Amino acid sequence: MDFLFNNIYYIGSFGLIFIGLFILMTKHNLIKMIIGLNIMDTGINLLFITIGYVRKATAPIFSKPDLNPQNMVDPVVQALILTAIVIGLAVLAMGLSLSIRIYQFYGTLDIRKIKEQKW
Amino acid sequence: MVNPVFLIIVPLGFAFSIPLFSLISRKIVKFIPPLSMLFNFIVSIGLMPVVLNKPVVISLGGFPPPFCISLFVGPVGILFSALIALVGFLVSIYGINYIKDGDRYHILYLLLLTGATGVVLTGDIFNLFVFYEILCISSYALVSYLGEKPAVESSVKYLIQGSIGSSFVLIGIALLYGKFGTLNMADIAKNINSVSQMYLFLPLILFITGFGIEAAIFPLNAWLPDAHSSAPSTISAILSGIAIKIGLYGIARIIFTIFGISSILYFLLLLGLLTLLIGELSAFSQKNIKRMLAYSSIGQMGLILFAISLATLHSIEGGLFQIITHAFSKSLLFLAAGCMIYKTGTMEISSFEGIGREMPLTSLGFTIGAFSLIGLPPFMGFGSKFLIISSILEKGGALFVLFAGIVLLGTVIEGAYFFKIIQVLYFKKRKSEESVKLQKVPVSALIPMFILVILIITIGIYPGIVSGILKGASSELLNKVQYINNALGR
Repeated sequence: MDFLFNNIYYIGSFGLIFIGLFILMTKHNLIKMIIGLNIMDTGINLLFITIGYVRKATAPIFSKPDLNPQNMVDPVVQALILTAIVIGLAVLAMGLSLSIRIYQFYGTLDIRKIKEQKW
Repeated sequence: MVNPVFLIIVPLGFAFSIPLFSLISRKIVKFIPPLSMLFNFIVSIGLMPVVLNKPVVISLGGFPPPFCISLFVGPVGILFSALIALVGFLVSIYGINYIKDGDRYHILYLLLLTGATGVVLTGDIFNLFVFYEILCISSYALVSYLGEKPAVESSVKYLIQGSIGSSFVLIGIALLYGKFGTLNMADIAKNINSVSQMYLFLPLILFITGFGIEAAIFPLNAWLPDAHSSAPSTISAILSGIAIKIGLYGIARIIFTIFGISSILYFLLLLGLLTLLIGELSAFSQKNIKRMLAYSSIGQMGLILFAISLATLHSIEGGLFQIITHAFSKSLLFLAAGCMIYKTGTMEISSFEGIGREMPLTSLGFTIGAFSLIGLPPFMGFGSKFLIISSILEKGGALFVLFAGIVLLGTVIEGAYFFKIIQVLYFKKRKSEESVKLQKVPVSALIPMFILVILIITIGIYPGIVSGILKGASSELLNKVQYINNALGR
């Protein structure tokens, strides 16, 4: 129980990553696959935040005089995540606009039925 | 000495100011990519002697190295950035008349090259990811640029596989940051031995898988033939010439500099050989010329991965030389194939019968590119393949002789399918009843091919031009301690 309490965020983030991977591997609908990608991205973002998280700590802004570095969370990961979210958004937008095109061409989003290109 | 930051800033700035330029005049937009790539090439060449003497480390933001975002401009970085700039410059000249419309193409093209340059110059692992994503996203968009049915489909495939790859890289970065609390590659490399090997295994595998998707290593190469064959020819040239090399650069940097692990090298050696054989064998049976060239790229990637994971000074030198050879030859091949496709309106090899008489210069370019890739003596490929084979034999032992045999077998297969095309080009009579769309190939398309031919022959005859930078680069990759000391400023 103690293990669960200490590592709950890690478990959650890896859970999200594996859910995303599972969706990508089992679903054949393009929109669902893109949703899977996004769930995976969210999991990674949560993983980053968890790495920098300190229990009962606050943001590293020197607003109060008695705030010492032990009670601050790591601000670097939050800056990284801001970038990663933007990148994820770009991939999402690109993927969705391509799926619109795919639907116009083929009338379906099922990746098994889209087989113009063959090995 | 120009500050190396400009190698990234100038193309990035030009990329985003293209819409502004197009407000002034729509004619000048297409001259911006060649201009900024020419600038990059001149700066990279100018920096080369400085960097060979001592790597240049730029810390952005004014903090000392482990804390800032730093650029590490070593021999490897400057070699790659000069190569990117040169190939980018030549292909963009080709694109002046090849691409009919649109600022979007030129913006994305410059962004792709910016991303590639950033990946090879950065010394910060998260920045590496960001630049890598810039490269990937712009190549997804460029593959589907023409908006045709096959292009959109292969772009979606590429997008899904590529983003899984970059997500893996990001997870790897998260795990490393969690353990070491730093993003500077040299700082991570310094402390890498302080944690147990068990912990490093997961990030290492994630990095290799993630970069391996972009580098098209064997089980991860499903996207490449589709994407490279359905993109516009200029983009195929850039993707084959540059983008996939960036994945290999990532793998080399991760293994040699950051992790310094040698036990995984045998695994990569075998993967490289498998990739080589499978790529070449699949190329042999193709009927579509661009698909054949794409599969041949997979085979070449396998060869380069094999050479790099032998991890001796000579073999890495050979691998890097092969990277240069492949970048020049494959972009020449794609550009020449682009001209032929433009003229005949189809990609089937059988429809190029007798085109050698109608387009003598283009066919000559194609032939020289093919000869160079096979490794025939007066051309550049001979030197690089010779270096790789001799470095395998230097290792000694029956196993390595076998490996050398497999590499030569790959070369023989490569020769077989390239000679097949060359035979179709020159020695088959054109079927007269077929009506050919006679479209003139513009002169601006011939100039870059001519320059590439000159480069291939010149470097083939005098390999000494590149040997200095290759030696510096391979010793930078192998000498981890030196890298750490240089990057942290000691």
